[in-house]
Amino acid sequence: MARIGVFVCHCGENISATVDCAKVAETMSGVPGVVHSVDYKYMCSDPGQTMIRDAIKEKNLTGVVVAACSPRMHEPTFRRACADAGLNPYLCEMANVREHCSWVHEKSEATTEKATDLVRVMVEKVRRNEPLFPIKVPVTKTALVLGGGVAGIQAALDIANAGHTVIMVEREPSIGGHMAQLSETFPTLDCSQCILTPRMVEVAQHPNITLHTYSELESVEGFIGNFNVKIRKKARHIDETLCTGCGLCALKCPQKKIPSEFDAGVGTRTAIYVPFPQAVPNKPVIDTDNCLYFQKGKCRVCEKVCPTKAIRYDQEDTIIEADVGAIVAATGFEVKGCDFFPEYGFGKYPDVITGLQFERLASASGPTLGEIRRPSDGTIAETVVFISCAGSRDPAKGIEYCSKICCMYLAKHAMLYKHKVHHGKAYVFYMDIRAGGKMYEEFVRRAIEEDHVSYIRGRVSRIYEEDGKLVVKGADTLLGGRPIDVRADLVVLGTAVVAGEGAEELAQKLHISYDPYFFFAEAHPKLRPVETNTAGIFLAGACQAPRDIPETVSQASGAAAKVVGLFSQSELSREPVIAVVHRTAPPLFSKCVGCFLCESACPYRAIEREEIKDRQGRVLKVVAKVNPGLCQGCGTCVALCRVKAIDLQGFTNEQVFAELVAL
Amino acid sequence: MTGLQDAARDLLQSGEAAVVIGFGGGSAGGARPLMVRDPTSVGDLIFDDRCVHNLAVYLLKPEVKSLGKPAIVGTQAVLRSILQLASEQQVKDRDVIALIPEADGGVRRLETLGEIEGAVSKPDAVLSPEEQNCLDEIASLSREERWRFWQEEFSRCLKCYACRAACPMCYCSQCIVEVNQPQWIPVPAHPLGNMGWHLVRAMHLAGRCVNCGECARACPVDIPLNLLNQVIEKEVAEQFGGKAGLSATASYALSTFTTDDKDTFIR
Ligand SMILES: Cc1cc2nc3c(=O)[nH]c(=O)nc-3n(C[C@H](O)[C@H](O)[C@H](O)COP(=O)(O)OP(=O)(O)OC[C@H]3O[C@@H](n4cnc5c(N)ncnc54)[C@H](O)[C@@H]3O)c2cc1C
Ligand code: SF4
Ligand code: SF4
Ligand code: SF4
Repeated sequence: MARIGVFVCHCGENISATVDCAKVAETMSGVPGVVHSVDYKYMCSDPGQTMIRDAIKEKNLTGVVVAACSPRMHEPTFRRACADAGLNPYLCEMANVREHCSWVHEKSEATTEKATDLVRVMVEKVRRNEPLFPIKVPVTKTALVLGGGVAGIQAALDIANAGHTVIMVEREPSIGGHMAQLSETFPTLDCSQCILTPRMVEVAQHPNITLHTYSELESVEGFIGNFNVKIRKKARHIDETLCTGCGLCALKCPQKKIPSEFDAGVGTRTAIYVPFPQAVPNKPVIDTDNCLYFQKGKCRVCEKVCPTKAIRYDQEDTIIEADVGAIVAATGFEVKGCDFFPEYGFGKYPDVITGLQFERLASASGPTLGEIRRPSDGTIAETVVFISCAGSRDPAKGIEYCSKICCMYLAKHAMLYKHKVHHGKAYVFYMDIRAGGKMYEEFVRRAIEEDHVSYIRGRVSRIYEEDGKLVVKGADTLLGGRPIDVRADLVVLGTAVVAGEGAEELAQKLHISYDPYFFFAEAHPKLRPVETNTAGIFLAGACQAPRDIPETVSQASGAAAKVVGLFSQSELSREPVIAVVHRTAPPLFSKCVGCFLCESACPYRAIEREEIKDRQGRVLKVVAKVNPGLCQGCGTCVALCRVKAIDLQGFTNEQVFAELVAL
Repeated sequence: MTGLQDAARDLLQSGEAAVVIGFGGGSAGGARPLMVRDPTSVGDLIFDDRCVHNLAVYLLKPEVKSLGKPAIVGTQAVLRSILQLASEQQVKDRDVIALIPEADGGVRRLETLGEIEGAVSKPDAVLSPEEQNCLDEIASLSREERWRFWQEEFSRCLKCYACRAACPMCYCSQCIVEVNQPQWIPVPAHPLGNMGWHLVRAMHLAGRCVNCGECARACPVDIPLNLLNQVIEKEVAEQFGGKAGLSATASYALSTFTTDDKDTFIR
């Protein structure tokens, strides 16, 4: 026989102002099975919790209903109090008489009646509650870091330095990401490669980090603490153990005019190449799309010149399998190209370039050795126009958000330009200057005041070519929209930061959510910014939203802290509110008929197939089984299963039915 | 007809099939389902205009399953049923041989699900003109009138469950109406329980009904159940694409999500 205790909270006056709490308690005391029913000003206070603990002990309660606020607020509080008194915490339920009643109704008899009904419903549920116990799952203490930009590098180093093993997977031939392409960095103007390359080397040399470059994630299975991943290591066509990185092959390769990805197209590379001198690892790859041997069947020059005979034309992709406990997605971003803008020539003017291309021009290791030369004719640019918000904040272009970094890097570009070409003229067209950040506003001020960059508030409507110059047609909105034409040598577009190529596909592989722009979605924008909705998968860097390096690195360290926290336990405890597929007596064995229509309904891929066998090992039936590590207890499968073979522990069909009947 | 009988005899004699599920002559000049296991009895098999029933319903009955590998005389409805059952893991490739009687008296033999997929025609309307008229009429009613229409229809229901027994998709070993802990659907044949039963059944068939019309044919009180299912089927096809019974590997509209799913049903 149930012995249920009911505790009605006033929540100061939050509840008692419209609900007659004493009356609710009194009515409930008349319900069969309720052996204790009281009301109190603050149930969540220490004395309130003590009332519950004492009642459990004194009256031998088998269930507790606290009529108070939302279980989102205090369910853990009251469940802990019950556990302290020796009652299984899952035998304690809350009736939400605040958000669901007192706050939304006037003071009246009916309000009190509704509150009573809500409590009655929970009493009927608790009567059928079963004690539940947390589920324990083991943890593999290895992290997978996807992406080797500064975000991935920081996360990997932090996790590795905490003593855990890390597998890093980078799609390109080298790690480094966009930061490796930058010349100097705002707001301190320190050389990007100088601060990044030591970190890259550290990754390569760290005993706890295994690096797979030129590799991609093939598939993920499993769940928090227990993922199984497959990694596709693309064929480099090089025996990495033999290659010494001497670079002779690239020197001799006859295919020299291929636009370099690393130089954002303003420089060239060969078909066998290392993307940049400080690449990690310093081992080339053969770009088979451009290799003469792969395309025409003739050449094999690299094979001839390689002193260690490391070239392998017949190498194939390999698949590596690994068990990991956590995954950090740090796959970064991309920028829109100039071809996105019909008004700026659709990419047909070689001297209209993106910010990333300008970085390569300004970089001492870039194709112009740091001189700001026009891609068209190689002359030094005397007048340069920088245009911010190219594509960003423009609903008509489908990009409504602010790309966040462009205001700052365009100020940096203008400043770098003025440092290099003292007599040159630099104009920045802007909508407004967003320089929130430590030393950011001062940085922009410096560009304007010390380096005399002309900032013009207004948009550029059109660019066209005339006599070898680019005519930039704009307006100065601070001067009442007065039209301004600038005849420029070079135009730099602060093009929108967009999600990386393949971001959507990767998110689907990882089963994490993404926003309409394919940036990965965090579990909570404020309180859980580095977690995803899938337990055990975390986010770092610009794959989540446009961000600069300081933000990227802090977030990466945050994600690493989450991973290290996860790895600090050898077993994970999980809420037992999960679905189960019931077994029944033979000859049915299970109500499940094995239609597996629930399989695709589960957003967490928790439904598996299980064979029921007889003693001889013959398969009698194939039925659904819920993986307790993956199930999040959402209940979608329960609603879908026609025969109710699945039930959600803590919210069983019987409990929910009893709740409805009690109304 | 002899073509069908010959094919059946061959299958039984060679042991390729243990039973042929087909039609035989029934009472009052009708046709009835016939299970032929003995090659010498294939002469009892008939196939003509009277043979309308969806024999696929027998494929999953334990009594039939225990006989061994079946061959089944296939109408289009049977083929659609086999494919839908396959997509729900109830029939596997080469579990059943379909025999399709052709107009010239010959018989087409389909051994694999792939062959069945190739043979299933994809007609837009599989409704008779009368059924279509009735549907149009229902569609012209207001929401309230439609509700009343079905209330009246369902009030006649005897809860004999003939519709369920005749439906090839109602293969659950324990139907929701027999689940009694808790008893979601009241047992007695009164208007409330009847409405519960039929709405639940319609939902359970949404995206799965192959429109063989068997439920309506089986109903002793002439409730046009197939029309209800067909309206839902049309809706599912419009909202989420795809139709039940056309592919052995189709995913279930109600449990799969694609980014181009419409959300116009949220009102
Ligand atoms: C023109 C320009 C100038 C900038 N200047 C500055 C500056 O001065 N100061 C500043 O603070 N910030 C600056 N930034 C911003 C800075 O570049 C970013 O904050 C930083 O690069 C973000 O790092 P990340 O690791 O998140 O992404 P990324 O640098 O994009 O790195 C992501 C990495 O993941 C890899 N990857 C992608 N997809 C996959 C996949 N599916 N599998 C495996 N690997 C994958 C990529 O190849 C890449 O190596 C600038 C940006 C631009 C565009
Ligand atoms: S649990 Fe239900 S929905 Fe899932 S396979 Fe079994 S019967 Fe089908
Ligand atoms: S309750 Fe939700 S998460 Fe758990 S198995 Fe069912 S559908 Fe999947
Ligand atoms: S066959 Fe007709 S009477 Fe029988 S249960 Fe179905 S609808 Fe009701």
